[in-house]
Amino acid sequence: MDQGKKPITGPLTVDTGSSEGTAATAFDQPFHNPQNIDTASDPAAGRGPMELALFFNGRSRDYFRIWIVNLCLSLVTLGIFSAWAKVRKKRYMYSHTTLGGTPFQYLARPEPILKGRTIAIAGFGLYYISSHFIAFLFPFVMVAGMVAAPWVLSRSAGFNARYSAFRNMTFHFDGTYWEAFKALYAWGIVPAFVVGMVLSSRGHMATLGVASVVFSFHFPWFLRRIKAYIVEHTVYGGKKGEFAATGGQFFGVYFTSGLIVAAIAVPMTIIATLFYRSDNNAESFALIVSLPVYAGYVIAYAFVKARSGNISWNNIRLGSLEFKSTLRTGDLIKLYISNAIGIIFSLGLLIPWAVIRTIRYRAEQMRVMHTGSLTQFRGSEKRSVAAAGAEAIDIFDLDIAL
Amino acid sequence: MTSFEGHYFDGLVPENAQAQLAFSGDIATLTAGSIRQQFDVGRLRVSPRISASERFIFIPDGGQFLCADHAFFDRLPQESWSEGIVAWLEERWWAAVACIAVVVCMLVVGHYYGLPAAADRIVDVIPIETEQALGKQITQWMEKEGWVTASQLDPDTLDPIAEGFERLIEDLPGRNAYQLRFHASSIFGANAFALPGGTIIVTDDMVNLSESTEEMLAVLAHEIGHVEERHAMKGLLQQSVVAVVITAITSDASTLSAAVTGLPMVLAQMKYSRKFETAADDFAFELLKRKGYSPAAFATLMERLAGQQEIPSVMKYLSSHPLSEQRARRAQDAAGE
Repeated sequence: MDQGKKPITGPLTVDTGSSEGTAATAFDQPFHNPQNIDTASDPAAGRGPMELALFFNGRSRDYFRIWIVNLCLSLVTLGIFSAWAKVRKKRYMYSHTTLGGTPFQYLARPEPILKGRTIAIAGFGLYYISSHFIAFLFPFVMVAGMVAAPWVLSRSAGFNARYSAFRNMTFHFDGTYWEAFKALYAWGIVPAFVVGMVLSSRGHMATLGVASVVFSFHFPWFLRRIKAYIVEHTVYGGKKGEFAATGGQFFGVYFTSGLIVAAIAVPMTIIATLFYRSDNNAESFALIVSLPVYAGYVIAYAFVKARSGNISWNNIRLGSLEFKSTLRTGDLIKLYISNAIGIIFSLGLLIPWAVIRTIRYRAEQMRVMHTGSLTQFRGSEKRSVAAAGAEAIDIFDLDIAL
Repeated sequence: MTSFEGHYFDGLVPENAQAQLAFSGDIATLTAGSIRQQFDVGRLRVSPRISASERFIFIPDGGQFLCADHAFFDRLPQESWSEGIVAWLEERWWAAVACIAVVVCMLVVGHYYGLPAAADRIVDVIPIETEQALGKQITQWMEKEGWVTASQLDPDTLDPIAEGFERLIEDLPGRNAYQLRFHASSIFGANAFALPGGTIIVTDDMVNLSESTEEMLAVLAHEIGHVEERHAMKGLLQQSVVAVVITAITSDASTLSAAVTGLPMVLAQMKYSRKFETAADDFAFELLKRKGYSPAAFATLMERLAGQQEIPSVMKYLSSHPLSEQRARRAQDAAGE
């Protein structure tokens, strides 16, 4: 009766390998092609790298309705619904991202997310109150936060992995608390920074200054450790992720971005000190001087996002899968500025549009390559992802975007 | 019999197998290559609908069937009933328009009535000691940083002001919380401000700028107004709520541009602090008249302040204080009543 009512138009794949255009594994085939189901006998297996087509086909108008309905319900329920809103938005993004023609699947249930958010809000409230009103509690809260941070990191990475599925196989995460602890606190620089913060709240401002400088120079290595922790413990089909980026690569990016900011901020400060007279209007003068500095900040931010995103993805391997990210600073600057203008002049109504076009750009600049057959990924046991989704009991939800 | 073409994933390998799922009465039949299985329809679970994207149907053996969305699937057992209701709303433009209206109403009403009223209630519950602890931290910090130093003015100038201050607060219920402090400060210039918990700081420049004790008392009455109405605490509460709401609304866009999220926050807070200034003025005029002083002194001081600085028109909208001329006029009106 309803047979074939809606033919699915799966995206076609691009063959980047040296092999002729007919060569493709079943993985790459559009849905309606019944051939090449059997990968084992596929001639392409074992030859040069093939591309798995990655597409994002979300549309602003559809996402707008999802966004506004969920925002409205979240506000009306004083935030309780926000857990559902998160699931709906994630579900939209996942199901509109296809790899080799198959959409990703988001499996998280809202209830554990609500629980996680409650814990997070309580933790933040404690921090806020102790830092503003009850000074003697502040060091204890900071220590508690440091003890909890590795737990939050490993749990949230685990959450994101476990509830992400592709072709009925969920990702897994096997990072432990202790490994997260080492990733966060190796070399003891982060703890020193926190101690500096506590001391500065007691009036020792110089400690914070020194700690900040040391931390800034250490930051690229810190970032690398966190990324490596997440990637190297993410498992799909029995294959662990590998991360080959070095801290030096990230340092290069951050150092250059620092130079970009300095190249604009330093001359502006000199101009400001030379031309500032107290009878000038201080406020409008500050505005004129700070605009170029802000522009420099936007450029540096886009530069960091593009370069560190490329470095991260281009150094990740998952089994035979490799990634090629080609984000460009200029594109991101245009994207950020047009997004900001759109959002401001639409009083926020264009936020969904900005989100969709940013993700689309991200997907357009990402290519996924693989060699050999995808049968190398093996589900550990035959069990439904639905069952995996239902067993969520103790989850701390927190997104740490890579 | 109803049947759908789609793909079957067994959960063992990420392979894409052409498949067919057919429904006949209470029995669903899956056909994928050589596999042919039958299930009770009641044991299937369908993933929530989202936009027009494909639906995942969980099969009891651990497999999964993926196919284009169809109204038929809504009649099967759902993975999540609560999301089904949301999905229904998400598909309708009238629902989107209604949601915009509701969001705008909530933000406007919340901003003008809800939040100030809620802050009043909450502040009543917070003990003054909490506020004093905060004020004490700020004072210690300012002294440590050298922002304020001991006053250079002689007691002959300061004593009449301190005496007048005592008169102003003598019949206020919270008079014990007050502490008037004179400081020299290069950072604050001519300024007087109330810290949370009742400490009022007056800079030497401010005292020098005023030409009479009465003018100085007008300023102090204004600061007493801030303390009495606990504006510092209310401001902190309101700012926190505004920050949370704005973050919630723009959370999707926050990674795109921090400037976008910062601007409405700044504007909302400006609005509140202007309201506080006007409220403190009103309190001051009332208090001054009750104690036999004229609010006209406030007006003359404001006019002198206004003469000192020229404010460009853009800054008028951004200023956290009401304009000096406006305040002077209101003070004159109050004095004339």
